[in-house]
Amino acid sequence: MSGTPSPAVQQRSYLWQDGTLRSWLLTRDHKRIGLLYLGSITAFFVLGSIGAALVRLQLLEPTGAILSDATYNRMFTMHGVVMVWLFLVPSIPVTLGNFLVPLMLGARDLAFPRLNLLSWYLFVASGLLVVYGLFRGGLETGWTFYTPLSSEYTQGRVLPVVLGVFLNGFSSIATGVNFIVSIHQLRAPGMTWYRLPLMLWALYATSVIFVLATPVLAITLLLLAFEHLFRVGVFDPTLGGDPLLFQQLFWFYSHPAVYIMILPGMGVVSEIVSTFSHKPVFGYRFVAWSSVSIAAIGFIVWGHHMFVAGTSLYSAIVFSMFSFFVSVPSAIKVFNWLGTMHGGSIRLDAPMLYAMGFIGLFTVGGLTGLFLASLASDVHLTQTYFVVAHFHYIMVGGMVSAYFGGLHYWWPKITGRMYPEIWGRVAAALIFFGFNLTFFPQFILGYEGMPRRYATYPAQFQVLNVLSSAGAGILAVAYLLPLIYFTWSLFRGAQAPDNPWGATGLEWQTASPPPVENFAETPVVTTDAYDYAARDGRADAARVDEGAPHA
Amino acid sequence: MPDSPVLDHHSPYETPLHRDESAIAGMWLFLASEALLFGGLFLVCLIYSHTRSAGWAEGVRHTNLVIGGVNTMILITSGAVYTMAVEAGKRGDNRRVVRAGLGAAALGVAFLVLKGVEWALEFREHLFPGPDFALHGPDAGAAELFYSFYFLATFLHGMHMVVGIGLILWICRKARHGIFGPAWNTPVDIVGLYWSFVDLVWMLLFPLLYLLGRA
Amino acid sequence: MARIATCWTMLVLLLAAELVAARAGLGAVVCVLAVLMVLVIVLGFMQILRAPPLAIIFALGGLFWLAILLALGSLDSFTRTTVPVHDTAPYAPAVR
Repeated sequence: MSGTPSPAVQQRSYLWQDGTLRSWLLTRDHKRIGLLYLGSITAFFVLGSIGAALVRLQLLEPTGAILSDATYNRMFTMHGVVMVWLFLVPSIPVTLGNFLVPLMLGARDLAFPRLNLLSWYLFVASGLLVVYGLFRGGLETGWTFYTPLSSEYTQGRVLPVVLGVFLNGFSSIATGVNFIVSIHQLRAPGMTWYRLPLMLWALYATSVIFVLATPVLAITLLLLAFEHLFRVGVFDPTLGGDPLLFQQLFWFYSHPAVYIMILPGMGVVSEIVSTFSHKPVFGYRFVAWSSVSIAAIGFIVWGHHMFVAGTSLYSAIVFSMFSFFVSVPSAIKVFNWLGTMHGGSIRLDAPMLYAMGFIGLFTVGGLTGLFLASLASDVHLTQTYFVVAHFHYIMVGGMVSAYFGGLHYWWPKITGRMYPEIWGRVAAALIFFGFNLTFFPQFILGYEGMPRRYATYPAQFQVLNVLSSAGAGILAVAYLLPLIYFTWSLFRGAQAPDNPWGATGLEWQTASPPPVENFAETPVVTTDAYDYAARDGRADAARVDEGAPHA
Repeated sequence: MPDSPVLDHHSPYETPLHRDESAIAGMWLFLASEALLFGGLFLVCLIYSHTRSAGWAEGVRHTNLVIGGVNTMILITSGAVYTMAVEAGKRGDNRRVVRAGLGAAALGVAFLVLKGVEWALEFREHLFPGPDFALHGPDAGAAELFYSFYFLATFLHGMHMVVGIGLILWICRKARHGIFGPAWNTPVDIVGLYWSFVDLVWMLLFPLLYLLGRA
Repeated sequence: MARIATCWTMLVLLLAAELVAARAGLGAVVCVLAVLMVLVIVLGFMQILRAPPLAIIFALGGLFWLAILLALGSLDSFTRTTVPVHDTAPYAPAVR
């Protein structure tokens, strides 16, 4: 394995073989589709961030600094809808997942390559529809589209957004079907289930949610659209419907969707923690099965979003209990990551900084979730900034950190270039700091009773709000940094070796960037995942063969 | 879905059999997803038919049992006929695939036409929920809910029928070029799964819309 | 061929039985018969037992999650305390 790939390798690389625009837009190569997705979700991430920035600017002053109340409502809705469906839900699965699933399996491609491309087109179409709906008219419902607000009040402005999210769902289902069938059918010889990288277990669990929860969202939104278009009652109480039924159906998707937004991050962190501790993951099977059980239990906790909505006490008790259950597999993961790091030879490269940030922030987010799962404290905390802080710790502190960590970790494999390590560490530290400054004050705000989704607030909350907005400013800079230095590295970054981190995993055994067909010949797996002894032995042997020591 | 009997150089599979098995498994997974799509509708029905049972039953009594029953027969037959196409595909008998496929599609169209007639009758009788809804009395609200469910469910099922008929015609076109053989007939099989699923959903919708609460 | 004919006959008979049961007001029987019809289709037309084992896993998974949706989704409605009001349409709109 040499430090700079030869021109021959570069020519076979999936990036440069046939570089026409047409070949990109009609590609069936999972790696290229991953990059198409990367470009599109980055655009949506920027859009959603602008919404967040405007919201934080508005809240600098108790009476509202810059926006009218209506515009404020539209902005937090835009932020929520774009971030959830156009960034967080697809994020890791469709970019890193698309790129890595076949590589990690030792396969040439996903099971249904054309379905994969179709999912990208569906995603782009849905994104454009959603953005059209959000800006042509605007929407004030928040990302949850609760009826009767969405059906009565919005006068049809909700329709394009709902249609977009509906389409988006089919893009998710396509990705989910593809991943599940690929993981079942396309494992390389010797790749047993317990030799799969934990990333794949996490993506498998995520895909189960994609396939089985998303259709329920689709039908819910369809019912909403029908109700509005034809004035037939389903959810609207003035037409005889039950508005809580909308919430039941919506959260049957949207709570599992929270796990769509965290499980892939957990997979990424498992990979990174193991690599940068140079140690097998502690309790591999527990971590693997905890992904599956998070996905399974995640389906039966949705009622905790509705404790104060007037649901029955029986249902509240049942859902509260299940919500506590889901913390068990989550805690198993956290402890096992710590167990992996314990006694390892830890290197603090940028991906590891992100992963460690993830562990800390996810733990805070998870523990504060317990306050919301308890019936008594939820009555006080629900619909306050405590909830906002809680889920941002999971989704931004957790998922976005993991996403950036994963991007840094696999960037050399994806592009064949190294990113500037110093800047990577600076950005990671800045994100951690900025994130906590933004969202920790919100826990206090919520505890003190500041409700979410209001454009104004009592003056006593101003200090904490200003702190939070200042943090958001830092966060914005910190998110811009990777955008800049990743772009820079595409042109000026050092050539990446095949395995810059000394990691196990089949994706590191092929060239950086990989050739179109992924592997020159189908790999045969003979060791467990994270078997560093075997890998180091192979690396030593290769060095001896080449006769030249190489760092 | 594969579109030719041979593997192209980019295919991730080792053998055609491996590919075809994956395709069939993938279709089943998609159908599981579809089941949850209709599951949302069934939940609506389950809840309202119990919490608002009197008016719901009144709605059921106003549906057209004759057309519903005939349509159920048509779908059962259509499913059986398409299954013959699947069998013919396994033998590589392309001409029979075309004939059985067209038969199944024609029955599907007949179903939709009858459904359209039924809808037209219901519109004329003012059974579509709205200000001039035909039923009155204390339970009229729940009867309206029933008709909301009725129209939504039959519409969604009808859309699936349209897609299914389209898929069957696509299979017939392929079969006319004689491309299926004993070694490769997966598309026929996969469309069969979809068509049977549409069939199956109707077997559940029929009692919900026409029977339960009628007596 | 014989298999298809048998399945078709079974489905027709089940449909007839359904109509009779519905006329007799036996709702539970109608439900059982409907489930039987679904089973005939899944086993006879879709031939799930001859599909790859994976298909059975996927089908059972879908069924399991469907059961969760229906059971937990209806839990609240069936156990909710409703406060009786005189008007049967408690939220009747002011203007329609």
